[in-house]
Amino acid sequence: MTPLERTAASGPRGVVTLGSRVALPVHGRQLLVGAVVVLLTAVASVATLSLGELGIALADLPSAVTGGADGADAFVVERLRGPRLVVALGTGAALGLSGALFQSVTRNPLGSPDVIGLASGAGAGAAVVALMMPGEVPVSLGALVGAVAAMVLVYVSTGSGFRNPGRLVVAGIGVAAMATAFTQYVVYAVERDKATALTAYVNGSLAARSWDDAATIGVVLLVVVPLALLLGRRVEIGEMGDELAGVLGAEPQRTRVSAVVLSIVLSAGAVAVAGPIAFISLTAPQIARRLTRGTGAHLALATLTGALLLVLADLVAQQSPIDDGLPVGIYTMAIGGVYLGWLLTREWRRGSL
Amino acid sequence: MSATGPVNGGGLRARGLSVGYGGEPVVRDLDLDVPPGGLTMIIGPNGCGKSTLVKALARAVRPVAGEVLLHGRDLASYRGKEAARHVALLPQSPIAPEGISVRGLVRRGRYPHHSLLRQWSPDDDAAVGEALERTGLTGLAEATVTELSGGQRQRAWIAMVLAQRTELLLLDEPTTFLDIAHQYELLELCAELHREGRTVVAVLHDLNQAARFASHLVVMDAGRIVAQGAPGEVLTAELVADVFGLACDIVPDPRAGTPMVVPHARHAAVVPGGAAR
Repeated sequence: MTPLERTAASGPRGVVTLGSRVALPVHGRQLLVGAVVVLLTAVASVATLSLGELGIALADLPSAVTGGADGADAFVVERLRGPRLVVALGTGAALGLSGALFQSVTRNPLGSPDVIGLASGAGAGAAVVALMMPGEVPVSLGALVGAVAAMVLVYVSTGSGFRNPGRLVVAGIGVAAMATAFTQYVVYAVERDKATALTAYVNGSLAARSWDDAATIGVVLLVVVPLALLLGRRVEIGEMGDELAGVLGAEPQRTRVSAVVLSIVLSAGAVAVAGPIAFISLTAPQIARRLTRGTGAHLALATLTGALLLVLADLVAQQSPIDDGLPVGIYTMAIGGVYLGWLLTREWRRGSL
Repeated sequence: MSATGPVNGGGLRARGLSVGYGGEPVVRDLDLDVPPGGLTMIIGPNGCGKSTLVKALARAVRPVAGEVLLHGRDLASYRGKEAARHVALLPQSPIAPEGISVRGLVRRGRYPHHSLLRQWSPDDDAAVGEALERTGLTGLAEATVTELSGGQRQRAWIAMVLAQRTELLLLDEPTTFLDIAHQYELLELCAELHREGRTVVAVLHDLNQAARFASHLVVMDAGRIVAQGAPGEVLTAELVADVFGLACDIVPDPRAGTPMVVPHARHAAVVPGGAAR
């Protein structure tokens, strides 16, 4: 078939049409990779519920998750591992999408809201609440306030809001350093004994999560994901530089501000339910990009990859023989470190670093 | 719409246009009528505002005063994608997204023809195919842009703006970084588009190339247009001395008959028998 004949045909290849109003291109490889990631996530989720001493036998799993369990199994599904799994899925997805948006619009493969001080701000907020007014305010609320305060500080101190990616990162690193110093001060000044309660939080943990946490991250995703997907195409065009994207009609600066705000909301939601979990937002988009070998922000795939990574990391955290109390954030940090090392050696070998 | 404007409403015009980046305006109170169907070449010394002018004509920078009119209507009042269906600009240093294929890059030129839910249009395949063919890249369509040579890469970018299928095509120094053969190849492509009736505006550094290919030559200095018209009338030794500060002779190009700048030798060896002045 010649290209001309294909153009004349009513049903174009690789495009899904719905009436005359909807026509969306589909990429075979991306769909395949997405399906594989979903499948792996399902496997990891089943393992999370069924492995170990308290695990539910595979045969009982279908009835248990549909509410037909009793006794110990019901406790595991409804209280112990069920909410924890759902929080891991939601938080991972939020972090993956957050990183994909942030990296694309700042053209920085090492970017994420953590780089500009979101996690450090959350840590400072948590420190104040946990150590200076223990029991009065939930630690997660303190973290959320700290994260938002840090982002406001970044927005104000760049002098150009979130429009200029370079200034954003420089101002963000400054704010992150100040927030970390502040946390250290609070920990030092108040009471070093109480600080142990904070360490689990500062590393990010999924232990003892409730359905309330699951609902929180669920609402964040429900609001932000549709908006992010609407923004997706503009984000993709924005990767061609502000000048060209502007001439093509993709409004790059407005797109950047919207994407950074959505990215921050996702990360702040994740921080509120799980504390600052490191590296998921950094690695998920990079892994998604390499899996499809394509271009663009891979928003959907980065979201799925983030969920898979965090569920896997939490599975390891729960089943690890090392210490069952170790927060998941320590494992993600280890994964991230390995990943960064691999990335650096690869770029170094290619001579691009 | 002015009575003197051509049938299509006057194409692209600047009226009292001033553009700056915070300090002194780089383009000052400038009027320009881009001749519809013409091949307009803008020349001028470094920093004269020629790049800024084409950017403003494509709405890549906002004027501080005055306006750019597209078909008699202020360009700023067009919606982003609507303007992009009329005017295409190839900036000086566009960024190729990591790992993108030539076809992927060219397809992005179709963005202005898409909407949120309609990210494909029936003309896409034809427009992309034609753009690849005209730039001689059909065989390299699946190659990664970053692995192309400089000349091929520039052609890929040209293909991207061609796929946009606009009546106006603005090119900001499209020949920079190309070797001389590729420079002429690109200029021939511009001339071909012009013969087909497309309006092309290009910023060029090489006066001889500009004089040879332009149907309308615009000379800028210090943010203003100092001369414009047919290259044969505009490009004089006085003008080159005034604007560029270069003493030269203007002789007819032996091939095309267009004016050709021959700078006076100051330090170069004088060829025996060469004309001295």
